[in-house]
Amino acid sequence: MSNIKLDSKVPEGKLSEKWDNHKFKMKLVNPANKRKFKVIIVGTGLAGGSAAATLAELGYNVESFCIQDSPRRAHSIAAQGGVNAAKNYPNDGDSIWRLFYDTVKGGDYRSREANVYRLAQVANNIIDQCAAQGVPFAREYGGTLANRSFGGAQVSRTFYARGQTGQQLLLGAYSSMMKEVNKGKINVHTRKEMVELVVVEGKTRGIITRDIVTGEFEKHAADAVLLCTGGYGNVYFLSTNAMTSNGSAAWKAYKKGACFANPCFTQIHPTCIPVHGENQSKLTLMSESLRNDGRVWVPKKQGDTRKPSEIPEEERDYYLERKYPSFGNLVPRDVASRNAKEAVDDGRGVGSTGVAVYLDFRDAIKRDGEQAIRERYGNLFQMYERITDEDPYVVPMRIYPAVHYTMGGLWVDYNLQTTVPGCFALGEANFSDHGANRLGASALMQGLADGYFVIPYTLGNYFASEGLMTDKVADDHPEFEKALTESKERFNKLLNINGSRTVDSFHKELGKIMWEYVGMSRNEAGLKTAIEKIAKLRSEFWKDVKVLGSEVGVNVELEKANRVADFLELGELMARDALERRESCGGHFREESQTEENEAKRDDENFCHAAAWEYTGDNQVPNLHKEELKYENVELTQRSYK
Amino acid sequence: MSNEKLLSLNLKIWRQTGNKEKGEMVDYRLEGVSTEASFLEMLDQLNEELVEKGQDPVAFDHDCREGICGMCSLMINGQAHGPEKETTTCQLHMRKFNDGDTIVIEPWRAKAFPVIKDLMVDRTALDDIIAAGGYVNVNTGNAQDANAILVGKENADLAMDAAACIGCAACVASCKNASAMLFASAKISQLALLPQGQVEREQRVINMVEKMDELGFGNCTNEAECEASCPKGIDISNIARMNREYLKAIVKTKN
Amino acid sequence: MKRLWLYLNSSIVKKQIMGFTGLFWCIFLLGHLVGNSLMFVGPEAFNTYAYKLTSNKAFFYTAEFVLLFFFLTHMGMAIRLTIENKKARPEGYYMKQATGRGSTFASSTMPYTGMIILIFVITHLLHFRFGPVYMITHSGVEMRDVYRVLIEYFSSPAAIAWYIFCIAAVGVHTSHGLWSAFQSIGFSHPRYTPMVNCVSKIYGAVVFLAFSALPIFCYLQGGN
Repeated sequence: MSNIKLDSKVPEGKLSEKWDNHKFKMKLVNPANKRKFKVIIVGTGLAGGSAAATLAELGYNVESFCIQDSPRRAHSIAAQGGVNAAKNYPNDGDSIWRLFYDTVKGGDYRSREANVYRLAQVANNIIDQCAAQGVPFAREYGGTLANRSFGGAQVSRTFYARGQTGQQLLLGAYSSMMKEVNKGKINVHTRKEMVELVVVEGKTRGIITRDIVTGEFEKHAADAVLLCTGGYGNVYFLSTNAMTSNGSAAWKAYKKGACFANPCFTQIHPTCIPVHGENQSKLTLMSESLRNDGRVWVPKKQGDTRKPSEIPEEERDYYLERKYPSFGNLVPRDVASRNAKEAVDDGRGVGSTGVAVYLDFRDAIKRDGEQAIRERYGNLFQMYERITDEDPYVVPMRIYPAVHYTMGGLWVDYNLQTTVPGCFALGEANFSDHGANRLGASALMQGLADGYFVIPYTLGNYFASEGLMTDKVADDHPEFEKALTESKERFNKLLNINGSRTVDSFHKELGKIMWEYVGMSRNEAGLKTAIEKIAKLRSEFWKDVKVLGSEVGVNVELEKANRVADFLELGELMARDALERRESCGGHFREESQTEENEAKRDDENFCHAAAWEYTGDNQVPNLHKEELKYENVELTQRSYK
Repeated sequence: MSNEKLLSLNLKIWRQTGNKEKGEMVDYRLEGVSTEASFLEMLDQLNEELVEKGQDPVAFDHDCREGICGMCSLMINGQAHGPEKETTTCQLHMRKFNDGDTIVIEPWRAKAFPVIKDLMVDRTALDDIIAAGGYVNVNTGNAQDANAILVGKENADLAMDAAACIGCAACVASCKNASAMLFASAKISQLALLPQGQVEREQRVINMVEKMDELGFGNCTNEAECEASCPKGIDISNIARMNREYLKAIVKTKN
Repeated sequence: MKRLWLYLNSSIVKKQIMGFTGLFWCIFLLGHLVGNSLMFVGPEAFNTYAYKLTSNKAFFYTAEFVLLFFFLTHMGMAIRLTIENKKARPEGYYMKQATGRGSTFASSTMPYTGMIILIFVITHLLHFRFGPVYMITHSGVEMRDVYRVLIEYFSSPAAIAWYIFCIAAVGVHTSHGLWSAFQSIGFSHPRYTPMVNCVSKIYGAVVFLAFSALPIFCYLQGGN
């Protein structure tokens, strides 16, 4: 067994005072000394972008890395709905406490209380900060900020910029970054992928990158490394994540000793456009606001191939309204997703593939008129029509759940530090704030909270308390050389397999295994099968993958192969974690743990913990460490949406 | 219910191994392309076939595949992002094409956008324009309450229209002069319309225009092809606003 | 001073110079048209107008100089912009198609119509400004009989065809140019910009029709 001890470092004191006390107690770096520190930030999404800008403003030297051609492309840009904050502008009874409570409850009591409270506290500052940057939030006629209710919340606390809130917040962070680029405080490295984390004598000292354009490997030394690399949803091959979203950076950190927490917690979003065929590369999400007016249904009869318009009212099953009369179509994401799967598994799916359910606006159009619906959802309807060639004003939309967000990620303490000193994880890449299920409009909030308002304090504390002012490691250290050589060898190995199967064919197969056994509903036998199948697929991959070209210059297949190799390990860990967690909670539904009415049943007695996995070697069973989650301020209740 | 059909296509694709090398148009034949597939999925299919045949796949930029990240590009049959209005390449679907069609695919072309490989180009120049002034100089932590800054709905909406730019550079690609004016003006407009942008209003437009010129983009001749190709429908009234802002700024500025 | 020079050479001021000079010429064209319309009244009215216009030498030469200066500036800037624009895309497209939603015939032919106008202006000056000088006395004042020069020149159908062709180029050029000048200078308003666009097209059509009427009128006069 290893000597890793999970210390959450949650400060003492009253919940509402923890962060303020902690801020005061943390050590500071003298302003003149900040310029003597260098920070590597991997990823330029909301977390990475905001952290880069803020740390540079403080005076640190920031090296920012992204895989795309510009920091502005990070996938945070695709978030549609909005960002939550307890400003209580609408005067509808919102408060920091309520936002905290909703987030903890929404996460099905598997998040760390103190982190969530801090998140709720700084959320208001995020709105102020973004407004000051010139983010064009929606406004009322009087010029004040507009709010809406989102994802079934009982208060209107979501700020938004049309259907492009993620884009606007990201561009705000990006422009703040560019401001610092102009001042020479941030060095942006585009089209570079982190391929290794360098740890020297227990402290993170830098990374190895591979230049996607030239194929060159480079050493980058720094005093700390911030991983802001997003989630790992692409392990399923088909997801709403961007094509280059991957888990490799987090995986490298895992292999260097950072624990990976709750990998099985994935969010499957109910309103996505269904899969159309084998060559499909990604799924498109439509805002869940559609469920405010659309009614979800399937035919009552199995294998009903009639057109939706020919199915009479009495032969339709509005299953969400039937099963959850008080929440109806607005049940949380995981419940809506699972029920869609049940309907499809029951042979009542619709569309040419039979893997979809209807989201029907007929009644809403009848009630409010087509114009009103057009005003509310015009953009979404247009997007749907562009992709499917069907007019949702006439024919009901077909939707199906898709992998959207991963709540699991690198285990971090209250300071956002992983179990490897000097290696921090921010945003979706860490695990701490969303528990087993994330609420709508909370991902943007968390990414920006970590980057703008948490890491600027906790990073300084790390530098000051570890005495890093004088303790420096340059990139000519043998550990860097070793890491560089190992990375090169790994890529060469991939190039030299010369097998017969394409990278994508492996990725697709992995995706199918994951979707089938580690998807919306999981059981012991299935998870064991998945672990077995993934291990087999992985060994086949290393024998039979076909990667053409050379290590020099652009080689897209090589890039993909490297990421898929990591997914083949990560997928297994997800299955292992899901197997270990013999309870249903949030996005994780274990068939063995359900109520008589087939609803998720939590087991707080045995599983009120974060499961943090420690790497023990390739093809070895990892060690499981448990961080007990203590709820001192909220009472644990079973969710019910009946 | 699905009207899926399969297409056979002739593709003419620009192949160039690197920035220093000479490129050429290469012909490919691709069978069995579903009309349900997106344009990039069609290219994926081609690449999968090329890899199986042991040939180098076509390099092209793409990421989110939902029309918002701005990474995808491509000149399709001589039009930026293809024929459909307000649609990025990743959202363009093959049902817009017919069986037996020849499709010409080229990279964006501009002096400021050197080709990296095949259909990939380097658009760093756009970041450089933003770095020259496309922001409000406000540090984290000292912001006042968001509602202390009132923004009239009309200006907020206009600013949002401009801010919708995804930085894909279709405007530059489609402009016969390879001008980046629509891109630059979108950011200048957004900030000129909002109270937050007033303090640096003059210096911003001067710096950004100067940078844009320095990077070797062409001049605007008011043909509006940029607006017509813009996947987000950004209006050339933004260019007029930038022109006005610039004129005002050089009269008012003291240096 | 250095900053000012930099501003004057910016992409925006360059096109604003195009706009201002073009706009000036658009106004001149209207004046020219009104003056020329005196042809329809008769030889005396027209010749007297021409005489009055040229008899104040200081005014006349200043006006000529300003016109020439604006013309040369417009032309020089056009050449410079065209060269710069070509440089901005050293390697052209294999295939390039207009979207059909942006550029128009007028907008995409500006350099060509511009060149036709250049040739036209030179020949126009040679034929009339520096053309044959006949004298005539109206109301006791001896003056140049410009009317006769016109009648003689437009007795040839070829001359009329060339003139109308060139005027068509002027009409097309200004139908885009007038709106374009407003855009470059920075005028934009959701309500008025579409009006400017429309006025611009009407302007081009009026210039074409009205100026074309003159040679035809002259031709018809010449027969008598």
